[in-house]
Amino acid sequence: MSKKQKCISLIVFAVLICVFLLGIFIVKSPGETETIQETMRNEVLHETVKVSLFGIKDVNPGLISAFCVTFIITVFALIVRIFVIPKFKYVPGKFQLILEEAVGTFDRLAQSNSPHKNKFLGAYVFTAGTYIFIGTIFELFGFQAISSNGASATLPAPLSDINGAICMGFLSYGIILSGGIATNGIKGVGRTLKDFSLPISMSFRLFGALLSGALVTELVYYYIGLSFVLPVIVGVLFTLLHALIQAYVLTMLTALFYGEVSEPAKPKLKNKKTAN
Amino acid sequence: MPLNIDWQQILLHLLNVTLLFAVLYFLLYSPVKKFMQKRVEYYSDLEKQANDKLADAEAMQKSLQEKQDSFDRDAAGKRQQIEAEAYKTAEKTLSDAKKEAEKLLELTRIKAEKEKEEIINEASGQISELAIEAAKKVVMDSTSNAYDKFLESAEGSNPQ
Repeated sequence: MSKKQKCISLIVFAVLICVFLLGIFIVKSPGETETIQETMRNEVLHETVKVSLFGIKDVNPGLISAFCVTFIITVFALIVRIFVIPKFKYVPGKFQLILEEAVGTFDRLAQSNSPHKNKFLGAYVFTAGTYIFIGTIFELFGFQAISSNGASATLPAPLSDINGAICMGFLSYGIILSGGIATNGIKGVGRTLKDFSLPISMSFRLFGALLSGALVTELVYYYIGLSFVLPVIVGVLFTLLHALIQAYVLTMLTALFYGEVSEPAKPKLKNKKTAN
Repeated sequence: MPLNIDWQQILLHLLNVTLLFAVLYFLLYSPVKKFMQKRVEYYSDLEKQANDKLADAEAMQKSLQEKQDSFDRDAAGKRQQIEAEAYKTAEKTLSDAKKEAEKLLELTRIKAEKEKEEIINEASGQISELAIEAAKKVVMDSTSNAYDKFLESAEGSNPQ
């Protein structure tokens, strides 16, 4: 590239930046039609923005996100199953290595936390981890859906919907309970019910973590002054970070409690009184 | 419900996650895990084969070592035997040689003594001859002198 071409490119780039900046300040943001309080409340409760589920029922956008995520993962898994897995080699390539590492990580997590019974647990934590990770990253793409009132609604992370978070919390608790019953029967139920606060803490931890991410992002985008550079850090890095952290935390907790309740009961030793 | 909690939506979420579980288990988790297990078995088989071969090689080495030791022992025994035989042969040869030498020495001694006797006999013969010769000479000398003296004395007693 000659010096003259470089100069022209720089000038074109500068003009484009100026035009965009001018446009940003001239065009009125539609976000200003509702207050920040209303935006935040809507993010938490989803009272006003609802999306129709095939015309059957108006549901939170989070549920639509959940179905979208499942659909995307299903298509991906199908493609991988049909085209990639049959071509697996003993010395893996990059993509095969990623797949094996994903499966191996959750499998090892299950084995290390629950050495006695872990086959089902491994499959569950793999599903939960994948769902939380992909579901959280899903909000980065900003897919749009048409809400019931005709406005467009950005599809959030499935677990920033409290119903989704409760589902994951209770499902994980149910899995832990099933592990306890499978190994120790009624004693396993007792062991699991001892941690009765677990489903609530799991649900609300997940909900709180993902909702806080969504709220911070919403807050940043609400004010035009914060919409430069900051979204790259808040929107992308934070989302990636809490996608990883939440996937790890929920799967690790589930595996830990599952291992605890599925540990076989030790036979009680009878204390024989020895006559001196 | 507070916080817009909707049990129907929770159940829909549950249905969704259960479907996802089935999909991921059958399409990804199980096949990938099976493949990983297969690879583990493949490499453990290879390792087992290598270990078996190593064990075979070690056994072979041991057997060869035993053979080598046995061969060394045999060789040492044979060497000892051969050395003993050689020593025996050498001793025999030496004793034969000694006997031969003694015999030769005896023969030589006898021959020397015979020669000595012959020489002595010959010498004594010669001495006798010389003595006779000398005696003859002495006798002759003394006879002629006496004869001369007789003649001279005879001549002196007859005046002219």
